[in-house]
Amino acid sequence: MNMHAPTETRALAAASAPDAPLPGYQRLRTLVAAALALVVLLSIALGAALLPDDGLATNLSARALPPGADHLFGTDPLGRDMFTRTVKGLALSMQVGLLSAGFAALLALVLGVSAALHPKLDAVVGLLIDLVMSLPHLVLLILVSFALGGGTRGVIIAVIVSHWPTLARVLRAEMRQVLAADYVQVARMLGRSRLYVARRHVLPQLLPQVLIGALLLFPHAILHEAALTFLGFGLAPHLPATGVLLAESMRSLAAGLWWLGVLPGVCLLGMVLMFGRIAEGLRLVLDPRRAQD
Amino acid sequence: MSLRFLSLLLATTFSLSAPVALHAAPRTTLVLAVSGEPAYGYDPVKGWGRYGNTLFQSTLLKRDAKLNIVGDLATEWKASADRKLWTVKLREDVKFSDGRPLTAEDVAFTFETTRKEAGTVDLTVLESVRAVDARSVEFRLTQPRVTFLNMMVTLGIVPKHAYGPDYGQKPIGSGPFRLVSWAQGQQLIIEPNPNHHGSKPAFTRITFLFTKEDATYAAARAGQLDLAAVPATLAANVPPNMKRVAVDTVDNRGLLFPMQPAKGEKTPNGATIGNDVTADLAIRQAVNLSLDRKALAAGVLNGFGSPAWGPADGLPWDNPEQRLPDTNPAAARELLLRAGWKPSTSASTSANASGALEKDGVIARFTIVYPASDGTRQALALAAADMIRKSGIQVDVAGKAWDEIKLLAHSNVVVFGWGSHDPQEIYNLFSAGASGKGYFNAGYYRNATVNANLEKAQQAASLQESLPHWRAAAWDGKTGFGMKGDATWAWLVNLDHVYFVNPCLDIGPRQIEPHGHGFPVTWNLQDWRWTCN
Amino acid sequence: MNAAFSWRAFALRRALRLAILLPLVALCAFLLVSASPIDPVGALVGAEVMHVGVEQQAAIAHKWGLDQPPAERFLRWFGNALQGDLGRSMIFDDEVIDVIGERLLASLALMALAWTLSGLIGFGLGILAGALEGSLWDRLIRGYAFVLASAPTFWIAILLLLFFAVQLGWAPFCCAAPPGVLPDEATLLQRLHHIALPALTLSLLGVAQVTLYTRDKVREVMASDYALLSFAQGESRLGVARRHALRNAALPALTLQFASLSELFGGSILAETVFTYPGLGAATVDAGTRGDAPLLLGIALFAALFVFAGNTLGDVLARWLDPRHSRAARNDMAADA
Repeated sequence: MNMHAPTETRALAAASAPDAPLPGYQRLRTLVAAALALVVLLSIALGAALLPDDGLATNLSARALPPGADHLFGTDPLGRDMFTRTVKGLALSMQVGLLSAGFAALLALVLGVSAALHPKLDAVVGLLIDLVMSLPHLVLLILVSFALGGGTRGVIIAVIVSHWPTLARVLRAEMRQVLAADYVQVARMLGRSRLYVARRHVLPQLLPQVLIGALLLFPHAILHEAALTFLGFGLAPHLPATGVLLAESMRSLAAGLWWLGVLPGVCLLGMVLMFGRIAEGLRLVLDPRRAQD
Repeated sequence: MSLRFLSLLLATTFSLSAPVALHAAPRTTLVLAVSGEPAYGYDPVKGWGRYGNTLFQSTLLKRDAKLNIVGDLATEWKASADRKLWTVKLREDVKFSDGRPLTAEDVAFTFETTRKEAGTVDLTVLESVRAVDARSVEFRLTQPRVTFLNMMVTLGIVPKHAYGPDYGQKPIGSGPFRLVSWAQGQQLIIEPNPNHHGSKPAFTRITFLFTKEDATYAAARAGQLDLAAVPATLAANVPPNMKRVAVDTVDNRGLLFPMQPAKGEKTPNGATIGNDVTADLAIRQAVNLSLDRKALAAGVLNGFGSPAWGPADGLPWDNPEQRLPDTNPAAARELLLRAGWKPSTSASTSANASGALEKDGVIARFTIVYPASDGTRQALALAAADMIRKSGIQVDVAGKAWDEIKLLAHSNVVVFGWGSHDPQEIYNLFSAGASGKGYFNAGYYRNATVNANLEKAQQAASLQESLPHWRAAAWDGKTGFGMKGDATWAWLVNLDHVYFVNPCLDIGPRQIEPHGHGFPVTWNLQDWRWTCN
Repeated sequence: MNAAFSWRAFALRRALRLAILLPLVALCAFLLVSASPIDPVGALVGAEVMHVGVEQQAAIAHKWGLDQPPAERFLRWFGNALQGDLGRSMIFDDEVIDVIGERLLASLALMALAWTLSGLIGFGLGILAGALEGSLWDRLIRGYAFVLASAPTFWIAILLLLFFAVQLGWAPFCCAAPPGVLPDEATLLQRLHHIALPALTLSLLGVAQVTLYTRDKVREVMASDYALLSFAQGESRLGVARRHALRNAALPALTLQFASLSELFGGSILAETVFTYPGLGAATVDAGTRGDAPLLLGIALFAALFVFAGNTLGDVLARWLDPRHSRAARNDMAADA
């Protein structure tokens, strides 16, 4: 086993991986859960777009209200509606997560595949992986976003830079396996072009891995974005980002405004869990072999 | 319900481990949380004590409860006829905490080193300083400065024989206290300096806790603090067993306007100067008219603050004549229409989606920039923006880091805060010569009449004689930096500094406190007394 | 012992790896920090920058060597770093090496406590869940671990702070010692009182991984032939787990714990920030937000060493405890390098 692979991804994968070959109804249940999660996430994105911006404006006559009928999640000390801010924050997190996980997966694909193709490239990619892995994620994230002066762009790039190696390793190993597989060897001997082999044999093997890998990266991207923002390196404080909301909630924690910190956090947790569900469902559809691992 | 039951259960189980009260009467120790930990250590040369109290060092002069300047180390101080040469006589009985006497050499050394150190204390006006004899010092200035006195009030004197790079970590001075221990980011512990020449403190050990605002508040609730500085947002809920002391300040917050039109002019470090919208007087006055300063003080500051009308409300050099009435977005809009700003003819264009007023193709729109790390300024920016929008101006809000603000400050509206015991600040904010030096006159305001008044003030024989000139600079009936004149700022609020204080602790009279929470509250720490048994 | 394995070769390999990695990490970190648009002078004086003239700012920049070309600055800095001189922290106005040393003590106590706790709790839960696979216990533990792995660390910390410090008032709201107590005067009890909640929070983070991992291992063992044989002989599931799985799962779990030092360090940054615990993690955030490049660089270097040490220790332990492991692990490493 590989000592240096980030254990968190493994933990998530292990937790979401079903235990035994799935009977039909369990398979159905997994798929339904994934579909439901997808619907919820999509409606958050849609809701964020449809919700009026009024909730983001200050309202000095409705300050620090606890959750109630008018304000489902209460209001903050400036009278801003926390429900609006939370939903928009989740949507923002999804955008950031989508961009960073997507690009990280792309980077992992390029580097992982090239490493499997040539020993020299392998050495370079190996060194890059070691380099990224030699620093704790959060330290690297802070360094990169420090270098880019924070902001949304800084966070996205920081997450990309720090999150590609895990997947790159998986893809490198997968690629090696595919290249060494009998049917590929045979295809090569039969004089099939490299392009044909790549399209016909390699891509179908790698694509599910990339998609599932990207989905598994997604929660990390979101959590790290929130953490960076919470520490003050990430998204700008006037944006309704979840990290911003939680950092702000710290200020009023001692005064007892619990809803500012608890509710957006629960929503963030729920969102991450839902991505786990979707990854599980996707794995079942795309890669049943491993799903029953 | 079940949560409460659980906590009750756990509480009874673990009640033995609950924190016990640290102190029992009679008290000889204090724990204070006023924030304001100096980044550079307790070294006056590097800026320590510029606001408020130096604790460990003495200054040549100091301010009493009514802010009058009185001698501390100095027994006499006077300026020459051309006001470029200051002579100061020192008292004779002063010793540093290490027992060595404090002489004119130390004073000259302190000012000389400060000028060379180029830290956060600006002494560029000082041409030279020398010890004439053991008891007298001569300061030569490059130009007359009635406000040079303030340097003598704020700059703590360090010992020439014991000054080095690590001085800030273990300061030696002639002040009322000496340092016992400083754990950076955590706490500072001090005790009385037995060699101090002034009144003797009543406490044998005083701890300053450097916690963040929320932690300070929690510690105060837990009964661990004798005095806690709290932000206005948390000031409403006074912990049991503490009383609230709200102190008047000249700590203000306001919106600075870029005064020049954008003509592509840049500062030496590449920042753009000018903004076509705010260069228009009507816009600046309209902003001033549409603000509801009372609501800001009541809503954002929780009532712990007051409307701000100028940079020095309530101080002798303030001129209340310059004020305009506010909370009138309709009048603001009227003013804009009269000045040629018209309702958008192309409101549907994406450039002006909000339907802001327009004039010659320019949309009435600007961005308020605030330091992202400052919650109060963020709140002020957001709330003020919502008020200004009602007059037909589109306002965007952006939180930035200080280093970014440095580049944006000359072309955007910025939430700044000032407030000093000294009118030098007025000079720095409004004289053309100070343009772009740090954040001084960041709007590049240029008005020859105002400049002339400021120079007259600086060259006046005394602070008293300088007052009419400072006031005239704000508004002389025709022009000035104030609202009726050029409306260079839209001042928002003056903050109260709010403290939770143990009712047994008598902290004496309060000065009007300057900008910045922190050590100003300790200006008379040596006179604080415990009144319970 | 496996004769083919040479400790000397192992040590040499690790040393070589460090010799390659460390300068690279240093260079990358330096490039990143240098590329920052954050103006160190402005960040350094913060809001105070209002009161600093242009001349003063130039002087401050010169004093810190900020006006020299980057290449020269890197060589000078790295040369000094190799001799143990990491420069001077701008925000603490003290030697970086001293700041790190002082802060490290506080952080080590925190991390060691959290590390041990998470290892023990995680391993215990993992064994239980694995042995009783499919039971309610298993599902509860698995669900708990999964939720923890999906929750933002700092948010869990905020919740614990809200509950234990604000609501119940048991735990202190901040700091490493009570107010007014000199750092050397704090009693062990006081220190424990202040470190307990941060350490608990930090350990919760690690629990999830060890639990799920151990559970997997135990499941494997429970499905093995000799386990089935034991069941056939009438042994209980927990009994089999104790006799067979415990030993088989302990080693990988320990190795995993060492490999997770990297995340522990990252977690400490968040935990120390929430609990205002004056350790290295809090210093990292200060250095980053206030533009203290020398300190940030020093901490990055130290973090790399810390992670490297953790991985090496894990490898050493794996080989030492289990000679069988050596060949496979070496191959694994070779494939990795």
